Amino acid sequence: MFDEPYRWIDAIHQRRDYISSQLERAAPVLAVSVLEGIVLATFHRQTPKLFELYDRMALAGIGHPADLESVRGQLLSLAHVEGFQRSPSDVTIERLALFGLAPKLKGAFEDISVPPVILNVLLAEVGQSPDQDLLLQVSFDGNILRSTRQSVLAPDEETRVKIAKLLEGRLPSDLSPLSSVLPGIGRALLEALHSPEELGQDESGHAVIPEKAEECGRRLLSERVWEGILVDRHNTARIRRIPANPDWFR
Amino acid sequence: MNSSERHSLPGAGGFPPPRPGYLPDLLRPYSSSGLTGGSSRLSGGEGLRGAAHGTTILAFHYKEGVLVAGDRRATASNRIMSNRVDKILEIDGSALLAISGSPAMALEMGRILDHSLKFYRRSQLSEISLEGKLRILAQLLKDNLSMAVEGIGAVAPLFVARDGDAVRIYFYDILGAHFEGVEFSVGGSGSPEVQGILRYLDRWGEKRLGSLSREEALLLSLRLLETASYFDSATGGVEGQDPVYPVVRLLTGSSLETVADQEIALLYRSEVMRVR
Repeated sequence: MFDEPYRWIDAIHQRRDYISSQLERAAPVLAVSVLEGIVLATFHRQTPKLFELYDRMALAGIGHPADLESVRGQLLSLAHVEGFQRSPSDVTIERLALFGLAPKLKGAFEDISVPPVILNVLLAEVGQSPDQDLLLQVSFDGNILRSTRQSVLAPDEETRVKIAKLLEGRLPSDLSPLSSVLPGIGRALLEALHSPEELGQDESGHAVIPEKAEECGRRLLSERVWEGILVDRHNTARIRRIPANPDWFR
Repeated sequence: MNSSERHSLPGAGGFPPPRPGYLPDLLRPYSSSGLTGGSSRLSGGEGLRGAAHGTTILAFHYKEGVLVAGDRRATASNRIMSNRVDKILEIDGSALLAISGSPAMALEMGRILDHSLKFYRRSQLSEISLEGKLRILAQLLKDNLSMAVEGIGAVAPLFVARDGDAVRIYFYDILGAHFEGVEFSVGGSGSPEVQGILRYLDRWGEKRLGSLSREEALLLSLRLLETASYFDSATGGVEGQDPVYPVVRLLTGSSLETVADQEIALLYRSEVMRVR
């Protein structure tokens, strides 16, 4: 069936389209470096998307929960065995992504005889100082995207760029404490998950009916589950969960 | 193959398949020590001479939680190997392991326990129960049995962990049996004096141990370790020329604190050495 090259390429294109269509409705994950560490935030409907991975590290994934769970299990084992055999400081997301995750995702994507892995992943590693923070995205085809200050994990490139621009406009321009970044993250998520019409905005993005945005925020918090974590720069042994504040979503 | 064989198929390297969330099982193929289920190849007492031993560790309840303290000395026979050993290990940011016995085995157990609790919490997305924590440490001690009976790897730790809002102290024997030290527990070669003093103070002192303030508990721990070092050559004291102070950590229902060296130094000079 795939004995001719163009048939294989055709199959890969179909596979990409299929995975993209499966990821389409996923809510984005936003990650931002703050003074206290790295904050990650999103909403989910059924299963969590944000996880503690290792000391200093967190994992976020959008896609099929079973694929996320499988990748999470492999990365957890890899990180803990490596950290135990050598040192926790030898475990880095760069090595996990480059040598652990990306080749596996690429292999699974290009092997058209096996079911595809429907998953985009974001790895976050907090440094001793904010300029050492690192955010790495690994997409379902094994491609890697590196960021430092902030990162948006989204279903596709177009959505990622759009939400990243939105997020940038909502955040303080300098590195800031967690408390002053969270409202911007909340607002960016609200805008990413609703159309301007739903939020009561006109064509230029100005709020015409602000009550609509408040209503969207209330609905978001009641219909979906908020997830917010801080990968703490000073207490690296465990992540901190951040409860939602309704004031961020209006 | 009968049905029992089918259910006990070995994993890679002839080991049983790993249990979910149990890190020592994952580490087995990489481990050459006895701690994760291998066995010692040493025999006889020849290894004894190079093994480092000697300690005083103590833990007691005070008003806010549990204080755990230890001296800094490691010895091998009559030789002092180091005066800078930290014997009070933080485990998963929520428990303390005070080690006495062979440092090589004890530190390895601490590392395995720390990694195991973290691995369980991160993989199973929930904290392991207190009983589960106690069992992992018991299993590590049991796996170390051959090293212990050969005389080169015996470890008898204290384990202090949260149980809801309460903090509990457990002491282990070298085979893995563990018991709760309701008011206090001690370990190591310098422990008999300390145990006697703690028992006396808790029974007939002006205050029960559990009602001591943080400052009172801290001072008591320093005086106890100084007393142990006076009688036990394997317990390190504080040398005048090169002061290295005991490690003291405090575990409460909501916090884990390492008492700063500066605070210990001040207290030691004024209230233990009585330097005016």
